[in-house]
Amino acid sequence: MTQTQMPTILIVEDDEGHAILIRENLEAAGVPYPMQHFRDGQAVLDFFAARPPQPSSTYIVLLDIRMPKVDGIEVLRRMKADPAFKMIPVIMLTTTDDVREVQRCHQIGCSGYIQKPVDYDKFAESIRRIGLFVPLLLVPQVGAS
Amino acid sequence: MSSTDYSAFSHAELIQRLQALEQAAASDPTRSERARLEQDLLATVKELRDVKAALDEHSIVAITDPAGRITYINDKFCAISQYSRAELIGQDHRIINSRHHSKEFFRDLWSTIGRGQVWHGEIKNRAKDGSYYWVETTIFPFVGAGGKPIQYVAIRTDITKRKADEAAMQHIAAELAEKNKELEAIVYTVSHDLRSPLVNVQGFGKQLQRACETIRTATAAVGEGGAVPVASLKQPVEVAIPQALRFINAGVSKMEALLAGLLRYSRLGRIALTIRPLNMNGMIAEILAAMKFQLDEARAEVDVAPLPICAADSVQTNQVFANLLDNALKYRDATRLLRISIRGTVRDGQAIYEVADNGVGISPEHQAKVFEIFHRLNPDTTSGEGLGLTIAQRVLERQKGRIWVESRPGVGSVFFVTLPAVEAPAERA
Repeated sequence: MTQTQMPTILIVEDDEGHAILIRENLEAAGVPYPMQHFRDGQAVLDFFAARPPQPSSTYIVLLDIRMPKVDGIEVLRRMKADPAFKMIPVIMLTTTDDVREVQRCHQIGCSGYIQKPVDYDKFAESIRRIGLFVPLLLVPQVGAS
Repeated sequence: MSSTDYSAFSHAELIQRLQALEQAAASDPTRSERARLEQDLLATVKELRDVKAALDEHSIVAITDPAGRITYINDKFCAISQYSRAELIGQDHRIINSRHHSKEFFRDLWSTIGRGQVWHGEIKNRAKDGSYYWVETTIFPFVGAGGKPIQYVAIRTDITKRKADEAAMQHIAAELAEKNKELEAIVYTVSHDLRSPLVNVQGFGKQLQRACETIRTATAAVGEGGAVPVASLKQPVEVAIPQALRFINAGVSKMEALLAGLLRYSRLGRIALTIRPLNMNGMIAEILAAMKFQLDEARAEVDVAPLPICAADSVQTNQVFANLLDNALKYRDATRLLRISIRGTVRDGQAIYEVADNGVGISPEHQAKVFEIFHRLNPDTTSGEGLGLTIAQRVLERQKGRIWVESRPGVGSVFFVTLPAVEAPAERA
């Protein structure tokens, strides 16, 4: 049995109001995971650069696309290009439903794509589901017992 | 020669025939027949001459022998090609070849008329002075007794103006397509940027609703003496409601500012421009005087070289340079004193101005984005609506000018502005 570890939700969002809404609504919908807010793409990249993930530490990244400096698509690209972080699930958050943008994010390897304003009940449900599944992702591959 | 069989004629018919022959002999039949033929011939020749005159009046006409050598040309041919008749007779059409058409084009032409068929097409020719003209051409082969063409008649109409109009229209269509793409990008950006504050208004509106529910529930649970328990009201009244109102108000202001900016941008295209020679050094001095307080406060050093004169609208151009100087102030590097240098040159009829600063600079991936509508480099630390450079670009385009940037992060930025140059010195009012 793998130990069930609470994932941390990293909210990468330049709009303070959007970040508060995401956090409060997920909490209100009963998502029990700790959350951390980053104001732009560079901040979350710095966070990852400073601490390579341990096998026990798990994250779910909620990533806004349009941000100043390093935008969400660039953050996604860099995370998916790095073997140390490519297993971390990333859900893109955006205000538009531009088909080309959706395709681009899926090609790079995002786990989901959600248009704001979100239906928080459904959103919380999918976060919970990913949360249950995340601990399995970063378990070191040892011989099957 | 056929002989008439008189045995079949009746008596009466024979008498009639005889009388007719007698009358004809009396009035010299050969003379009258020739006169009639001559008259017919003259009429036909006159008619042909009139048709030819009409053709010469309307068309450019040339006749060549089977080898393509020119044997006849009309005045219009000489006029449009600028060659004299003497220069053209005996030559072939290579003398007016513009080299615009391929070898296959002329091979097809010759094989068509060589088979005795009519050729139609549009040909670009070169006149004696090197200028080009377009003719719509019909070549009609005159086929001889042996079935081979004995000469070719080429009838042409000058379509140079039509061709120029077509090219101009294609150019305009391409420009329009470009503008449409720009407009699409603007609509995309604007719809995104408008939705962002809308998400807050919607989301925090729901938070307000939730806070109201909490208060209603608390007031419903009124105690014995009609007292409402304060503890349950504290969170909605002190935290949730003020926070929600703060974000709703900020969102509404943001949307209002965006819409005002959008209106300002859309009005730009309707402002009437007054293009006249501009004394740029005078204009820059005025702008610097108006910004003196901010520049002194930043202890900025501004160096202005003698600037070329350009033809532009003074109000709009003032706005462009005021915006560039304002940006230099806004995006200065806090670790060093701001230095701005303004200089200009003239190249190929264009006055090129440089506004250089030693500010924070722009990374290569952001250099194109700075001209996008509502794009802002540092929304947290600087004010502005993200319209200045978008408007500058639009204003300059309307005056046949351009703007672009060269920049190195940490070193500074140089904004280049071009406007049509003026040779004569500007009038001083």
